[in-house]
Amino acid sequence: MLADIAANLSLGLSIAASPDGFLFLVIGAFLGMIVGLFPGFGPAAGIAVLIPMTFGLEPTIAIIMLAGIYYGSMYGGTITSILINTPGESATVASTIDGYPLAQKGRAGPALVMQAIASFFGGTIGVILITALAPSLANFAASFGPSEYFLIIAVGLLMLTTMMGDNKFKGFISALIGFAVGTIGVDVMSGQQRYTFGSPELIGGVYFVAVAIGLFGIGELLHCIFNGQHRQPAKRLRISFRDKEFWPSRQDYYESRFTFWRGSAIGFIAGVLPGSGATLGSIIGYSVEKKVAKDPEKFGKGEMRGLVAPEAANNAASAGAMVPLLSLGIPGSGATAVLLGAFLMWGLQPGPLLIVNDPEFVWGLIASMYLGNMILIAMSIFAIPLFVKFLDIPYVNVVPVIVLLCVIGAFAINASIIETWILVLSGLVGFAMKKYGYSPAATVLALVLGSMAEETFLQTYIISQGTMNLFWERPVSLVLSIVLLAVVITPIALAVMSRLKGNAAKVNGEAS
Amino acid sequence: MIKRRTFTLLAAAITASAVALPAVAEEYPSERLTYTIAFGPGGGNDRMSRTVVDVLRQYDLYSGDIVVENREGGSGAVGFSYVSQKAGDPYRLTSTSGNFIGTPLVADTDWTYADFTPIGLLASDAMLLVVRADSDFVDLDAFVSAANAGRVTIAGSGSAGPERVTAALFAKAAGIEFEYVPIGSGGELVTALTSGSVDAVVANPSEVAGQLEAGTLTALAFSDSARSTNNPDVPTFMELGYDFSFSLPRGVVMPSDLDPAVQDWWIATLKQVVETPEWQEYLVKNGMSGNPIWGDDFATYLEETSAQYRATLVEIGAIKE
Repeated sequence: MLADIAANLSLGLSIAASPDGFLFLVIGAFLGMIVGLFPGFGPAAGIAVLIPMTFGLEPTIAIIMLAGIYYGSMYGGTITSILINTPGESATVASTIDGYPLAQKGRAGPALVMQAIASFFGGTIGVILITALAPSLANFAASFGPSEYFLIIAVGLLMLTTMMGDNKFKGFISALIGFAVGTIGVDVMSGQQRYTFGSPELIGGVYFVAVAIGLFGIGELLHCIFNGQHRQPAKRLRISFRDKEFWPSRQDYYESRFTFWRGSAIGFIAGVLPGSGATLGSIIGYSVEKKVAKDPEKFGKGEMRGLVAPEAANNAASAGAMVPLLSLGIPGSGATAVLLGAFLMWGLQPGPLLIVNDPEFVWGLIASMYLGNMILIAMSIFAIPLFVKFLDIPYVNVVPVIVLLCVIGAFAINASIIETWILVLSGLVGFAMKKYGYSPAATVLALVLGSMAEETFLQTYIISQGTMNLFWERPVSLVLSIVLLAVVITPIALAVMSRLKGNAAKVNGEAS
Repeated sequence: MIKRRTFTLLAAAITASAVALPAVAEEYPSERLTYTIAFGPGGGNDRMSRTVVDVLRQYDLYSGDIVVENREGGSGAVGFSYVSQKAGDPYRLTSTSGNFIGTPLVADTDWTYADFTPIGLLASDAMLLVVRADSDFVDLDAFVSAANAGRVTIAGSGSAGPERVTAALFAKAAGIEFEYVPIGSGGELVTALTSGSVDAVVANPSEVAGQLEAGTLTALAFSDSARSTNNPDVPTFMELGYDFSFSLPRGVVMPSDLDPAVQDWWIATLKQVVETPEWQEYLVKNGMSGNPIWGDDFATYLEETSAQYRATLVEIGAIKE
């Protein structure tokens, strides 16, 4: 087994580390980081736009470059979440919750370094797990039907409550807004249109990216202007590698030493499952971290662990998503679906036989991911002083740049103006949410997960003739149902128990 | 004043003759061609369109420049609308796929298939009925008797897409009832079947090619009128005695109001395209059957497919009469 892995990897490295392979890997990783920096240009859009650049390359080299764009954008995507509170895609929404407060506290440098390290850690653990476990995990992914998907999404939705902020009622309202927007589009069951008002642009539903950029990016901007931040002089931050403030503190590393592992493991498992892997992984990663923390009240206010967990998770998930893609030919996300299209374009037939028929390709790609992660962490850390410099620019000059980036990002989704209007509208809503303490993160994530939950629930409903017994008849579903119940019941049970204990203590106290 | 008006008239006359003359005098084609793709890069429509353009360039079948542009949005509504508004422009091409028929039926678009000049159907995208290789459904008859004895579930992508139309037409021809389970994308469709959640899926051949090759899934029947050049072992529904066929057009159309000579020029040119080894390779790679039809026959085909599609959508309640 180990000898097999070594042989496979050295075959892969002979391709990935060849001059051509390495050059295009560096180009891909670099482009990926840049793509990630633009709000709205997630990995899927980035790969799709850059596919024509790879025409004329050898298939394996071309895919290595495209894959570099894919996970490279995961590194770049968080930078805007931290600096300007604008997640470029749903997988980095969770990273804004502690990432942006960290930057506001003046710890942008450590936050960016830490997210690069967490990304590297998650990505590398992910590739190691692919190398070792791909065949057995493929069968696991193939055993997931609608009932299992619904349950795992439901777990994700429950986890949302940990990132709603202090006011659960307002968080709940925020999530409901997301669910409501998610109902726009074609009804999955009947094919009838809901709330589209006959507009062909809305048939496909409201794409969450425009909503996310609006709620976070434009909303934050309006809020800052409302507070008069544009009138304040810029803080001069002197950032260089030599400064102690640039690097994360020993305490940061010490406190998050287990967070790296937990985040990576959770993210990888979520990524292997087709669906919304990286998003679910980052939510669950964040949520678990907050649950196990002894000091959960620090989360949401600029806690390093709250950034490390979702970052390790979403990068491990983007690696995990390669498992069903390479071993089953099943894309688990928008980005891997575009990659699958690229496989076909080069005459590679995705499916269980891909690894048998084209081992050079599969192992070359996997080996390139090890190298890619190393290249990316080096690139990120070198580039961080540049990004942090951004905070030096007076706010009044930053505003137009952010608006421009947001509008380009929203327009680029479909090259249609409707997304730009959605952006403007969500920007106004985002401002109001920020002002009155609602949770834009809950809205965006509910929008992404809500329609998936609806679809998979209705599929289960039809298959089981309305009885829902699939949820406990199928073994994997049964396990997930138990987990779900445990998640719901445990906090209630703990609360009841502690109250009983408290009462008992009181009684004892009175007795003594 | 008079002088000025005369001058204007003269100028107008000169301009008019300058515009009108080349169309008669010069050979077609003499200008840059714009090939609009109504979907994003990397998808099925994009791959087909780019293959056509590559062949045109490689064999010098088109003398001028060719510009390829992706105009996606609204399931093809945006791109097809854009091309339909170019009525009379002989330098505009676009590729059809399922949404060319489907989108105008379900949405309020300003175009239908009838607003274009049909050139040719280059390939057809038909559907396979697929089951797990280890299931009890050894052939289509076994599937039909299972459906008669109990209850079968068939999944396909989308609620009102070609997969559902195929499943509904099959059920009608076989006189069986089934539960249709709409599933979002290709990946989850395959796992719905491999995980044992549904009995069968209706899928595009390219979505299941890897699994068929590996032998984990088996195709029971094909929805085209002739067997696929790619899966020659899979019988058609018609061969097996279920009298229907359904496929989606992978064709080329142009804006309306064109000189018939332009239409003929493109029919002759695309006939050369489909003969090239590059095109044949495209068909094999993408699991399509190549039984091309041209001009008026293509128009008839579009009309029939649209009517068939419409009737099924009305039947399942997705649209009103």
